[in-house]
Amino acid sequence: MSNGPLPTLTPLNQIYWEGTAKRELRVRHCRACDARFRFVRSMCPVCWSEDLDWQVVSGRGKVVACTIVTSAPYESVADRVPYVLALIHVAEGPTMMANVVECAPEAVHVGMAVDLTFEVRGEFTLPQFRPAK
Amino acid sequence: MAHDVAIAAAYELKPGRYPEFSAEDMYREVVTRALREWPVKPKDIDGLLTAPSGMVAGKIDALSHEKLAGKLGLQPRFANTMSAGGATFAMMVLRAIAAVRDGQAEGVLCVGSGKFLKQGAGGGEIVARLSSEPDFELPYGPCIPALYALIASQFMAERGATPEDLARVAVSARRWALRNPRALMHERGEITIQDVLSSRVIASPFHYLDCSVPTDGGGVLLVTSAARARELTPHPAYILGYGEMHRPASLSETGPRLIESGATQTGPAAFKRAGLTQRDIDLVQLYDAFSATPLILLENLGFCAPGTAGRFVQSGATDPGGSLPMNTGGGLLSFGHTGEASGMSVLLEGVRQVMGQAGPNQVEKASTALVHVYGGMMYEHATLILGRSP
Repeated sequence: MSNGPLPTLTPLNQIYWEGTAKRELRVRHCRACDARFRFVRSMCPVCWSEDLDWQVVSGRGKVVACTIVTSAPYESVADRVPYVLALIHVAEGPTMMANVVECAPEAVHVGMAVDLTFEVRGEFTLPQFRPAK
Repeated sequence: MAHDVAIAAAYELKPGRYPEFSAEDMYREVVTRALREWPVKPKDIDGLLTAPSGMVAGKIDALSHEKLAGKLGLQPRFANTMSAGGATFAMMVLRAIAAVRDGQAEGVLCVGSGKFLKQGAGGGEIVARLSSEPDFELPYGPCIPALYALIASQFMAERGATPEDLARVAVSARRWALRNPRALMHERGEITIQDVLSSRVIASPFHYLDCSVPTDGGGVLLVTSAARARELTPHPAYILGYGEMHRPASLSETGPRLIESGATQTGPAAFKRAGLTQRDIDLVQLYDAFSATPLILLENLGFCAPGTAGRFVQSGATDPGGSLPMNTGGGLLSFGHTGEASGMSVLLEGVRQVMGQAGPNQVEKASTALVHVYGGMMYEHATLILGRSP
């Protein structure tokens, strides 16, 4: 299967992708106001503090939106259809895009509880989600 | 509000493919054709607003107003290339009004043109990249229908809208297109809910006929003082109210709530400025890249209580002869999605209606029109309330 479009590694996102390689989902955390947000930022979007660290989150989440892509939109994902594209609200705060895997696409629905899993694609390990156990 | 300033003229290219023109040529062509019809001379124009050309073809040219001014032989006192996706053109009108009122310009052309790549030419990936985060979204395979489908899935789960409700929006748009000889789907005949539901699935819940039709097109508006506008036309379009809102440009950043769009803020702002309520609006033009978005906007703008837009459209209220005519030219669904000028097409139909220039699809009572356009995946929003009288 083709790897599809892959991220570009940069000094700013490197810590995130090093985390996923260790099977950790790392999010940004503001030490000043305790907000948690995604992923490449040097400033808190809530209070503008620059006093940030990274936190590893549980990986529990909820599907807040989902669709089954049945018609390949471009060549590099052609061998993946049908796939579930979803927005996952991670328990600790941020919302992120992912695929919901390890289940029939038709089983995925808004409100569904999901857990973190990972998928290796070339040099990268992508966070993904699967139905909660 | 802006009773001293008005839209004096409106021109739109017929939607369709224009292979003989580049994205840049399209700008010149739109204005050239408009000026053949308008009693306007170079001395009347000292302002020019455009959008970047070539965006959805992946060759973005941000120098659009400079190039167009050169071709028109203009040296405007007020000009800019503005970018807010489909919302750009309503925002142009607001900037033009402010400029005229402030004395920065007397006559401002607001221009948009758009051009989609041919199907299969790589446009799907180009626009997916424009509308997604390259590192944190694109690896998951988003595309425009799927991104809109995410918004629709939340709307359907929470507000109870059904696939039949979505399909009914496309049916309503087609009924309007059958009246409008300029619409791309004018001669394609009626469609039924069943036709929509049995067309192929693109990204659930969207079928082929839930999606707008990609094409080329464009248009131009002239914003000038109300006094000058009344010399040029018996019924200028007045801007009675407006609201504008810009939010982050990805669904991951927008989430987890996707369905209380910026329209929940721009709508009330526009009504407040106009001193009007939903009941005072004769017709609406609601940006309809996909069949779900007019339903979301009807609820977000307060025309329908949460959870009732589907029933409202099913009742025929938005059809020809209904209580709230909607997307009266056929909408992007059946008039045509004119590339990056789609927001201009939505706006122009509202303007033509209040000016009484809509032709065979003219709504009988068109004293007020609400136009709502947005950019990206409902990221940035603008509401305009237009009036036939100041």
